Amino acid sequence: MSAGFDWAVGLQWFFMLYFVGINSGYLMLNLLSLGSLKRYIESHSLDDLPRGISGLEPPVSVLVPAYNEEATIAGSVRSMLQLNYPDYEVIVINDGSRDGTMEALRREFALLPFPEAYWQRLPAQPLRGIYRSATHPSLRVIDKENGGKADALNAGINASRYPLFCGVDADSVLERDSLKRVVEPFLEDPRTIASGGTVRIANGCRVDNGFLASVGLPRNPLALLQIVEYLRAFLFGRMGWSPLNAVLIISGAFGLFRKDVVVAAGGYRRDTVGEDMELVVRLHRLHRTRRIPYRIVFVPDPICWTEAPESLRVLKNQRVRWQRGLSESLTMNIGLLFHRRGGAAGWLAFPFMVVFEWLGPLLEVAGYAFMITAFVLGLVSGEAFLTFMLVAFGFGLVLSVSSLLLEEMSFHIYPKPGQVAVLLLMVVIENFGYRQLNSLWRLWGLLLWMARSKARWGEMTRSASWQTGSGGGAK
Amino acid sequence: MRLDTGFSPPPEHAVVSWLPHDPLLAVVFQAGLGIIAFSLLMLVAVFLLRMRLVLRTRREHRYAAQWRPLLAECVFDVPQALPVVPRSMRYHFMKLWNHHHESLEGSARGNLETLARRMGIDEVARNMLQSSDLRERMIAIITLGHLGDRERWQELRALVAHPSPLLSLAAARALLDIDAEATLAWLVMVMAAREDWPLARLVAMLKEAGPDRVTLPLVAALKAAGNPRQTVRLLRMMEVAHTAGAGEAAARVVRESDDPEVKAAGLRLLGDPRELGLARSAAAHESWVVRVAAARLLSRIGEAGDRQLLVGMLKDAHWWVRYHAARALVALPATAPGDIDRIRSTLDDRYAADMLDQVMAEARSR
Repeated sequence: MSAGFDWAVGLQWFFMLYFVGINSGYLMLNLLSLGSLKRYIESHSLDDLPRGISGLEPPVSVLVPAYNEEATIAGSVRSMLQLNYPDYEVIVINDGSRDGTMEALRREFALLPFPEAYWQRLPAQPLRGIYRSATHPSLRVIDKENGGKADALNAGINASRYPLFCGVDADSVLERDSLKRVVEPFLEDPRTIASGGTVRIANGCRVDNGFLASVGLPRNPLALLQIVEYLRAFLFGRMGWSPLNAVLIISGAFGLFRKDVVVAAGGYRRDTVGEDMELVVRLHRLHRTRRIPYRIVFVPDPICWTEAPESLRVLKNQRVRWQRGLSESLTMNIGLLFHRRGGAAGWLAFPFMVVFEWLGPLLEVAGYAFMITAFVLGLVSGEAFLTFMLVAFGFGLVLSVSSLLLEEMSFHIYPKPGQVAVLLLMVVIENFGYRQLNSLWRLWGLLLWMARSKARWGEMTRSASWQTGSGGGAK
Repeated sequence: MRLDTGFSPPPEHAVVSWLPHDPLLAVVFQAGLGIIAFSLLMLVAVFLLRMRLVLRTRREHRYAAQWRPLLAECVFDVPQALPVVPRSMRYHFMKLWNHHHESLEGSARGNLETLARRMGIDEVARNMLQSSDLRERMIAIITLGHLGDRERWQELRALVAHPSPLLSLAAARALLDIDAEATLAWLVMVMAAREDWPLARLVAMLKEAGPDRVTLPLVAALKAAGNPRQTVRLLRMMEVAHTAGAGEAAARVVRESDDPEVKAAGLRLLGDPRELGLARSAAAHESWVVRVAAARLLSRIGEAGDRQLLVGMLKDAHWWVRYHAARALVALPATAPGDIDRIRSTLDDRYAADMLDQVMAEARSR
């Protein structure tokens, strides 16, 4: 037996075991999610009875960073002004947009200059002006120099009045009671410092006046595939970690935070494209290492809908950016990894992220590349190659189907059986090319991060074709 | 030559022909097949769940269409015809019944209770108290509360000590529904001590019981509070009590406590001009939380003579103290816009001047 062949056999088993390991890890998360979803649904089964909580819900500042959002900003802000919550303010931060975002806001909301005593608690680019709506007293707009999403959020925190703030993407569509649902962990446990909700894909849905009128499936196959991906990411990617207090990601599209805690932690870092994840990982690190009791909670209710990319180019850019954000978030907080006080976040979630999410694309692409090359060169047998592909496909399938099963056991958002059938088809199809393509993009993101190339706000072409009603349509 | 694990292949007759010859590979291959088979089973489960959901929803709608008119009839009288409730639909009926009970008032509630007793729902709820299903236990507790079932008092009282905040709070609420006065006498201390009970829900429950019933137990509990955390919780709950009773007790706490959180919570409850001295002394407290509460109190009870004190507070290092001092200054009795302009022109502190500009702009836009 030659040394070269020993080496090939070793690699063959390494990659096969890696695929088994990563997918077994996800299956474990799935099991955890199953239990916590069941508990969540049981405990909220009587929420629709008329006796509410009280008017004692803490007031919330909704922060909407906007960069070149001319097409959607008016509709989004209008929907945010109609949320079902007793006391909140909306602060739109125009981050030096180069399009007509500011003009659209001025026109739609009768903005007037306001002499605000701006409190610069967190670093942010200089302001151009602060405006208050003459028609909506709870709306303020901050016009500032461009500095990126994190910078815009910091400026929003500086201007906010309330003890909790909720970062919302300008293109997001919220459920009317989204704030009520995401604030609940703060009412139930005073140790809660952050909570995030499930984000769903809005493509194919009908949105009237900024609110979701009916749930549908998009015709675009890329958007369809992302629905399955989002189900997987949220229903067990995050729900599984929540009971362990080890949720490392709260989506920037919709997340609620305790302001004093975020200010004390230094706010959003402006040198990362993954500012949402970085903040959450940092909060874990600081609280764990300083032994401050805290909770970071995931709320599984579907409360925020967002537009998914429908072209390969935009999707690729998004995934590259996500991978870079992940790389930055983990390396900037590497002190949490196996810290003696790291708890589940430092000993389970962080290593899991490092091995399976951060380095995962490298190992996955290398695994596929090696097996194909080795098979072609005759270094591994057809049987070994077939076994590898079978395991990779089988585990991919089981994970995707299980996320759909979780959805069917809990929220069953897609009302028609035909829609479920289409999603089941996507569950199978995504294993033949789409997942591998994603791994390639993420690997590219990893390489770009290693090359330290400059990161920027993600510019995304928005069609907003699902928005109808006043001010919401594409212009 | 091709190699896999280095094991020599077993004799051909020992393995099924389509499996890899390498024993380890064969195991992994079979595991892969098993996983795919499991996925297919889950696919079937997804379909079956959807079918079950469709059928269940149809059934629920069908029954709800029969029940709703009968429950609505309770607004005027107890209906003669009793709703048909199959065993499997009991939970859904009870939920609908409770929904109506919480939406209606007066004699309609009494009619609903009579209807439920005639149907034996009280007995069903008593049995459900022992259920292992959390949803059933919750609906049973709520139903017994709405029915005013005194026979289950001891069981419900024992549930108040249950470690689950959901079950224990539901039991506390049910006991308040059954006999608020008898319950509040001991429940308020439990409310102060159980930090896993969300304050917002407690305030909602106390609000429902009404200030007449809650003020005295809250004042008594405040006197007996064991630590500052309990005191702060009780002071927050006192926001639903009678102003006079709450204010008197809060003033005593503000005078006696050194804890900034307690002082601030107490100051929030004050509103009697006789407490002006407390507000003035708190304005110089080292904790900004207390200084904010003092400024807010001065905006309610401050006098023209407090103007200089508030102008001084406009230069406070903390934004919120400056903000509330400015608001108090604008709200002081006998203060005209011209007075504020004069104060503004004398300010040499930029932060103080900016804050006064902001608050004046806010006042103009109101």
